[in-house]
Amino acid sequence: MVRVTGNFQSESPLHPKAFEVLHAAFDNGWADPAKLSETSAKARALRNNALETIATSLNLQVDWLVPISSTSLGYFLGIQGLPLNSKTLIHGATDRKDVFAVAAQNQHRVMQSALDGKLIPTPTDSKNAILALQVANAETGVIQECDAIIAATNPEHIFLDATTSGVRVALGNQFTTALFDSKSWYGPSDIAMLIVKEPSHWSNPLPHLNAARPNFDVSLPLLLASAVALENFSSEVNEANLAAREFNSQMRNAFAALPDVDIAGDLDSSMPHMLSVSFLNCNGEELLRAIQKDGYSVDSGSACTADNLQPSHVLAAMGVLTHGNIRITIHPGITDSEVDGLIASVLRNVEQQRS
Amino acid sequence: MRKIDARGLRCPQPIIELGKAISEIALGHQITLLSDDPATEPDLSAWSRMTGNTFEKKEKNTFLVTKLS
Repeated sequence: MVRVTGNFQSESPLHPKAFEVLHAAFDNGWADPAKLSETSAKARALRNNALETIATSLNLQVDWLVPISSTSLGYFLGIQGLPLNSKTLIHGATDRKDVFAVAAQNQHRVMQSALDGKLIPTPTDSKNAILALQVANAETGVIQECDAIIAATNPEHIFLDATTSGVRVALGNQFTTALFDSKSWYGPSDIAMLIVKEPSHWSNPLPHLNAARPNFDVSLPLLLASAVALENFSSEVNEANLAAREFNSQMRNAFAALPDVDIAGDLDSSMPHMLSVSFLNCNGEELLRAIQKDGYSVDSGSACTADNLQPSHVLAAMGVLTHGNIRITIHPGITDSEVDGLIASVLRNVEQQRS
Repeated sequence: MRKIDARGLRCPQPIIELGKAISEIALGHQITLLSDDPATEPDLSAWSRMTGNTFEKKEKNTFLVTKLS
């Protein structure tokens, strides 16, 4: 078995503080917060504290938070819950597939992407549109100029996908609903935060009997761990961004020095910890495996690495080369020697494949 | 005109075959590329931009490539 010395995949272990809290949380937070017993009261208090912590860290009001247990479901709830009747849903060609799935059941229009990953807004004549906008792309890290797109499309309501941007990019306040993913702040997976800022313009699109604000079941221990991870990562985020940016720039310079290299988006308008790069005439899967043999884990958007053998729709929409692609995520705690080792491994393996 | 039948080949093979063939023809000459790989069309756009050549989709799985550089 290969010993992994450097993890540059999009997934990462839990924030260490969140890991510490999980055990205690399963010990204290097992009761149903909705019941009347003493243990339930304790669970309720823990839940309320967690939500207060999350709201404070995200700079949002606590009563806007709807914790849910699936990010994918969050796209449906956040978009389909808006008043879409006879409206056009405008979204981006580089959005997550979950957004395409919701759009497919509505009247919709797709904003195309420029080569740098910036969406080209489709102007609308009246306030007759709902806009679903991804703050930062999940594959390339490209950050959209949200204010400009909102001004150009002039939508009646806005859903913001903050699942990748998390606390690394400020959300602004022009939105009706938004979605965060706990993984973006190194919390546990299967916890997401749907933000309903304007409850009068949102209704639960799932079958329901009670019109009151929905209360979806989420694991209390995971919610507590997510809150602790968020609180801790928020205090480290500036430092993490600076360190990642430095490493990212080092990698981009090293890769760009090779011939026939296509890097998706500029560092200045991207998440500092993300990099997607394609090498002409290389095979993404073979590259990923060769780099793994050297002890480094990366992701790939090439067709050969996907379950459905389709190339990344994000790279295709941008017009960036889809084959020979690797995606690198620079997590906190990555060291100089890991970055140097990864760069050397990529350069060596690209050269080998091309020879 | 040269024709490359890359049907059945997966990425990046069709583009690699095209790269080899294009180095053997003169400026302004053309190659027909047959490929049913879903990555070929988006990759031809990127390849054209990166190498300074052009392509035109003639029909499904058929691309006409012109050498310009």
